[in-house]
Amino acid sequence: MKNFLLFYKSSSISGKISMLMIALVFFVAVFGTAFSRHSAFVPSDSAFVPPNTEHLLGTDDLGIDLWAQICEGAKLSLTIGIFSALLSGIAGSFIGIICGYYGGFFDKFVMRVSDILIAIPSLPLMIVMGVFFGAGIQNIIFVLAVFSWTGPARIARSKVISLKTEKHVLVAESYGAGIFYLTFRHFLPEIFPVVMVSFIRLVNRGIVSEASLSFLGLGDPTAKSWGLILNHAISFKGIYFTDFWKWWLVSPFAAITLTVLAISFIARDAEKFLDVKL
Amino acid sequence: MNKGAITLQDVSVTYRTPVCETNAVSGMSFTLEQGGRLGIIGESGSGKTTTSLAIMGLLGKYADVSGQIFYNDIDIQAITDARRDDFRWKKIAIVFQNSLDILNPVLTVREQIIECIDRHMHFSKDKAAARMAELLNEVGLDPKWAESYPNQLSGGMRQRVLIAMALSCDPEVLIVDEPTTALDAIAKSEIIGLIDRLQKEKNFSLIVSSHEMSTIQKLTDQTMVMYLGNVVEYGKTEDVIFSPTHPYTRGLINSSTQINSFRDLWGIPQEDVPYNSIGCPFRSRCSQCIDMCAKVKPQLKECGECHAVACNRGGVVKVMEGCGISKDFYVKGRKVAACRNVDICIRSGEVVALIGESGSGKTTLANILCGMLEKDGGEVVYEGEKLRGFAATRRQGGVQITFQDSFSSINEHFTIFQAIEEPLKLLKIGTPEERLEMVTQVLRDVQLPSDECFYLKKCFMLSGGQRQRVAIARSLVMKPKLLIADEISSMLDPSTQANILRLLKGLQNSKGFSMLYITHDLSLARKIADRVYIMKNGEIIEEGSALSVFQHPNSEYTKRLLMCADL
Repeated sequence: MKNFLLFYKSSSISGKISMLMIALVFFVAVFGTAFSRHSAFVPSDSAFVPPNTEHLLGTDDLGIDLWAQICEGAKLSLTIGIFSALLSGIAGSFIGIICGYYGGFFDKFVMRVSDILIAIPSLPLMIVMGVFFGAGIQNIIFVLAVFSWTGPARIARSKVISLKTEKHVLVAESYGAGIFYLTFRHFLPEIFPVVMVSFIRLVNRGIVSEASLSFLGLGDPTAKSWGLILNHAISFKGIYFTDFWKWWLVSPFAAITLTVLAISFIARDAEKFLDVKL
Repeated sequence: MNKGAITLQDVSVTYRTPVCETNAVSGMSFTLEQGGRLGIIGESGSGKTTTSLAIMGLLGKYADVSGQIFYNDIDIQAITDARRDDFRWKKIAIVFQNSLDILNPVLTVREQIIECIDRHMHFSKDKAAARMAELLNEVGLDPKWAESYPNQLSGGMRQRVLIAMALSCDPEVLIVDEPTTALDAIAKSEIIGLIDRLQKEKNFSLIVSSHEMSTIQKLTDQTMVMYLGNVVEYGKTEDVIFSPTHPYTRGLINSSTQINSFRDLWGIPQEDVPYNSIGCPFRSRCSQCIDMCAKVKPQLKECGECHAVACNRGGVVKVMEGCGISKDFYVKGRKVAACRNVDICIRSGEVVALIGESGSGKTTLANILCGMLEKDGGEVVYEGEKLRGFAATRRQGGVQITFQDSFSSINEHFTIFQAIEEPLKLLKIGTPEERLEMVTQVLRDVQLPSDECFYLKKCFMLSGGQRQRVAIARSLVMKPKLLIADEISSMLDPSTQANILRLLKGLQNSKGFSMLYITHDLSLARKIADRVYIMKNGEIIEEGSALSVFQHPNSEYTKRLLMCADL
């Protein structure tokens, strides 16, 4: 908590605004549905009501309140962003530590796999995997994690390779320290800041990827996410000939853009604060 | 049997007072042939003077003497005082330790010497006076001093008078007790020269007891080292001084300024042990004491030609021995030999310096010795046990290493406590309370604050010198028998370097571990090392005692090193 306050104080103006923004998104995601007067699933008015005091962001083609949908979407986007980043961050770090520490065949094998994963354009493969595994929040998280563990893994690996020649690690080994002890006492504290920055970026990647998949119609059609709202709006024929896009299309788009931008700003400041050289 | 031979068989002397019994000499045996020169060496209180007095039969009624003392074939213990007087002073004479009160202050030099002659030789007055003048001439004292009183003479002159008195009856055996204490350098060398000359002229048997190594070295052929009334080492003087086998003898030599002329002086750490206890008398001050030493009293055992030592472990043990160690590195397909068939040996309680320029393979060798690097060939033996991997570092009382770079050798995110506790924690030694106790103790040892607000600091808040101390503390908390110090002071400023080295040497002296000190700094090595290895291109090119390597280097490379270092 003390560190967080320090971080907040040392951030730039844009970083501070971004943090407030993200705090707002979190708040909305957690309490949003309780605050909005209307359901995000059931029509509450006639279709295409422009924003007014009753419906802050208007309604869509079915007459469902858009603010309520954005709130619901925030929940899903953040969940997917954070969990995919957590999964890939943790798994990636541990794979990286093991590769870096032991080296040898396993290391070579894993690194080649990660080369392949980095080289392959991820979105088409994600689409294929999304189709293959079927829509669903766990599947999306899993698919995202499969493509994003390579970042943290490479960072952790290179850090461990340099750390394991450090004398204090050698000394600890000479007292009988195993990989478990070394990981928790010597490696993780060093790796944590670097992986933390990478984690924040992965949250962004998760949110964008989920939006992309949903936008392409590969998300869970029953769930409410920002990408899905966009998908619905775009597939409404002749939307650009009406005024409806002004609220139906802009609000989810703004939500995605602002969130992603805010997280990027935070990542930039975190990089400075944690003094990470990437 | 020869004329003038002294034989002691299992002689013990116990001083009895109503309050306590003190065993001043126990179980002493030796034979001194006629014309032989024997030195007895030891710290004060080791029983040297008591031995001399026992041979003279001069011990008072409080002393119990057991065993047998033979002069030629006569058992001095068995005969009556009157009969003893027949040969005491006439045949066996003693030069007492020089002090003002040993001479009668109200008699002149002439009267004192004539009294001796009178008492034993029954000469006429003229003959006695002539004899006195002859004696004064012999000991190199101007006859004009004959009418002086002892308090008018200098220390050197009084010593000459004492020698003259001892020689007054042409004895066959001369016992000299501390001939050179409290004399200045010139007087000392004159007295030593005098005794040496007289012995050669008159060929009497000589027993010199002294705590000065140089006196013993010049005056004797055989030396006996005594500790608390026990003979701990016996051998030819040369052997005893230049290759001491008992840890006590080595300690004495290290404390001697004449023999140990460059290094800092370090006495043997003082710790009292009750006199009459069983077990090895030296054990509480010994660096290689084992459990057995508390129970078994060591007997003199042969450990070479005419060389015997009383030690349960057979003298100073080899802590670590490396035989034929070799290691190659491959740099871009090119073979670089970092160690080529290196033999190295570190004995208990000694500081060995490994000297070489950078790239000579010193650090490679150190890493191989402590198990951090796999060797290509050869073997490392630690206290008789072949080492594999980290076997020696993973135990208390094993091998520990401290590195050059104190910033890399400690995880800077650790608190000081965590850094020092790490080995204990990993090896599951002690309870948390005991560990805390050990850590604070070792912090005190390395002269860092041991309070909570210090040891909970993070290591990155410390300076280089402080970190190096923390690194040393981490090694010491494992109570190592061998500490490998790899250039530990080369990154520090001269003052911090001096402090760290003094600290380390002090700890080494008090805790008695051995140290392999790796350095490229020759003057530093000369200050602290007992023995020196010079390494070049992965080979040991010269080894030997610090004194001989620095004063008479054999190899061209060593000579060049010394020249470049202006030594």
